[in-house]
Amino acid sequence: MITSVVTLFGRRLLAAVPILLVVSALLFCVLRVLPVDPAAMSLPPTATIAEVEAKRRDMGLDQPLPRQYLIWLRDALHGDFGSSIQFRRGAGSLVADTLPATIELAICAMVAATILGFGGGLLLFRVRGSVFEFITDMASILLLSIPEFLWGLILLFVFGVLLHVLPFTGRLAPGLSQPHITGFLLLDSLLAGRADIFISAWQHLILPAAALGLAFSPAIMRVLRSSLFEAYHEDYIEQARLRGLSEGRILLGHALKNAALPTLTLAGVQFGFLFSGTLLVEVIYSYPGMGNLMVDAVRNADLPLIQTVGLTYCIVVLLINTVVDSLYVLLNPKLRVR
Amino acid sequence: MAWKLPRRTFLQLVLGTAGAGAFGPIASAEGRDAVTIGWPNDIPSWDPNQRFTPDAQPIFKAVFDQPIDQDPSLKLVPHLLKQWDLAADGLTMAVELRDDVTFHNGDKMTTEDFRYTFLERIKAGVKLDTANSWKKVEDIVVKSPTRATMKFSSPAPTAPQWMAFLGSFIVPKQYIETQGLDNFLKKPIGTGPYKLADYELNSRIVLERNDAYWGPKPKIARVTIQIVKDPSARVAAIQSGQVDCTVNVPVREVERFGKEADFAAELNPITRVILLQVRNDLAFADENVRLAAHHAIDKTALSKAFYGGAAVPLAAVATPGTPAYLSDFQFPYDPKLAAQYLAKSNYSADNPVKIGFAATNGQFPSDYDIARAIVQMWKKVGIEANLEVIEYAKYFELNRAAKLPEATLYSWDNATGDPEIFGGYLLNPKMPFSAWKDMAVGQKVLDLFSVADYDKRIAGYRDLNRFAVESGATMPLLQSVLTMIRRKDLAYTKYANGWVLPQSMHWSA
Repeated sequence: MITSVVTLFGRRLLAAVPILLVVSALLFCVLRVLPVDPAAMSLPPTATIAEVEAKRRDMGLDQPLPRQYLIWLRDALHGDFGSSIQFRRGAGSLVADTLPATIELAICAMVAATILGFGGGLLLFRVRGSVFEFITDMASILLLSIPEFLWGLILLFVFGVLLHVLPFTGRLAPGLSQPHITGFLLLDSLLAGRADIFISAWQHLILPAAALGLAFSPAIMRVLRSSLFEAYHEDYIEQARLRGLSEGRILLGHALKNAALPTLTLAGVQFGFLFSGTLLVEVIYSYPGMGNLMVDAVRNADLPLIQTVGLTYCIVVLLINTVVDSLYVLLNPKLRVR
Repeated sequence: MAWKLPRRTFLQLVLGTAGAGAFGPIASAEGRDAVTIGWPNDIPSWDPNQRFTPDAQPIFKAVFDQPIDQDPSLKLVPHLLKQWDLAADGLTMAVELRDDVTFHNGDKMTTEDFRYTFLERIKAGVKLDTANSWKKVEDIVVKSPTRATMKFSSPAPTAPQWMAFLGSFIVPKQYIETQGLDNFLKKPIGTGPYKLADYELNSRIVLERNDAYWGPKPKIARVTIQIVKDPSARVAAIQSGQVDCTVNVPVREVERFGKEADFAAELNPITRVILLQVRNDLAFADENVRLAAHHAIDKTALSKAFYGGAAVPLAAVATPGTPAYLSDFQFPYDPKLAAQYLAKSNYSADNPVKIGFAATNGQFPSDYDIARAIVQMWKKVGIEANLEVIEYAKYFELNRAAKLPEATLYSWDNATGDPEIFGGYLLNPKMPFSAWKDMAVGQKVLDLFSVADYDKRIAGYRDLNRFAVESGATMPLLQSVLTMIRRKDLAYTKYANGWVLPQSMHWSA
């Protein structure tokens, strides 16, 4: 079993290489076609035209586009993603500094989305045929129609401003100093043995994670409900009833196991979208992750940084998809036969 | 080494999270010995010489010191320099440094650090914006640990002003040379009133009082600068008590907070001008069209509509209180006169002249709205403007490539208030700020750049400011305002250039 999972994982990783190359080439071309001159942007405003030309040559921008891409690719393979125009620091190190915060947020949001999605899906299924079906159905459609940034604003207003029970700026309360170990603040606070930091970090994560989770949970809810409907048409459900099992045990012990598989696939796909969704939520909550960095980079036409962040998003999404596919094989015996 | 989580700590974490942790009372702005400031932008780097970013200036001023400082009315005052003497020809400047200044690591600050900052690291090719502002520096002759003479390749009449302006912060030579630039960027040290205690990119800057500071000690021991980029989030943060003060919030919020008992809300006019940068070619080659475009703009209406009337309408590129401000000069809003100018060139509301117009959206408060209002004002007199949005970062590149349209809505910050950095830079055809390349105005500017006598220089700029507006080479609109909301019991020193300095803050009794 493990062998087939590992094989699939390896195959998927190999398949990701050409995808990454295509995405990086596309990104590179699109950014070079934009009416922005990275050479001019990387110099102070007082630079002369001659200085800009010299810089352009220095950056290899006078070379044909394919050659420029190959130079970039060669450097990228050596870990050099270029220097950020805005920060005048390596774009790779900027991404490395901010990626843990985004991953932490995305994981918490995914957990929230999964809990809400599975809970909501079970509720939707349980109230089928009752007077509550219409209400819950409408509620799930309403949830589906609210995007993550709107959830962000609603939650900020209700829990941050109105009720004043949760913080909504940054990752930590002003009086606390962040332990710099892995960049994952929850983990770092545990490693440092600091309960106060852990609690503060957790408080700061709740609203952005909930905003993302609420936006991505309705799809999980609705797919789970549909999968449960399908599962209930299978013979083993009727057999379970004949064996005298309670409806609750049939739902949780038998139907849910089978209905969870397609839902898991969807959750994996959703995780990719959710990761991209961190962009606006991070800005709203002043959360210092990669999304915030991307917004900065776009605002300042910081092409090397846009390229690096864009590529990182692509790598993360491909990795997530690979892991989800492998998990699917791990959980579904039918797929292991081949 | 195996790491083990103590059971007690683990239990604390779990219980804390499950219970009070999640929805407990939130840690809002700190106590009376601390302040939390909601700030719109992070610093670009911890090398204060590296990038010219006006927003970062107050943060740098907390950690680093400048050779010369400015008082709240913008007058130059001694700081790290006890005195300076710019020669009559502007080619040398003798300086004397204080001898009681130490960096945060205890190293003494001397003229070697001064020479390193303004000459050596520039010549060494480090990528610094100061390489441009101090490119005239040929040498700095060190005479003693406190005395040196700067030598310039051509007259540098604004050298003292630049000592108090963007990027001019003294950095520690020995520390950077021994620790390396990367380590300096990670753990920067200056001679300023605060030490950097903690920094998280795009999130927050934590400063702790430098108890060994040579100057007046800050009253507040700990300052947290929370980076909150979204204006609405900054408003929510001050409303909920998560920050004690914040800046650059929408004008309507200032009006709302002004009615609340616990807050003070301010619209402070600062040394920033909002103007139209214009070209001297395309449809604007015609002076009649340029003057018509300027006379057609109702600046008072713009101020009332977008800045609650607090932004002062300007007739010249200088703000009230600065040396080259022309209090007796007016450029009236007169749509009839505008129509007459257009008629001279055979244009009218029925036969409008077509021009391009660029503006940023979100770079400064209400920028795009102001541009749209101007388009409507122009339309009434016979100017049809095609408005396009550009990113602020692209202005210089478009200007270099002569791709800007006839007019561009622009905001220009000049913390010194010196006229060279207002009209001088904005109209100098050799500099990338100016869209105007005609030499009738341009030569006047270039000549002024080498006038070392202060009074003569200021008089020259006053004439230039008037001439440039009357010939349609620039269209100043408004003095910009800095919006600020703070807790009423948090006092600070108000600077005419909009600096909000943590070291000037204190809690009132």
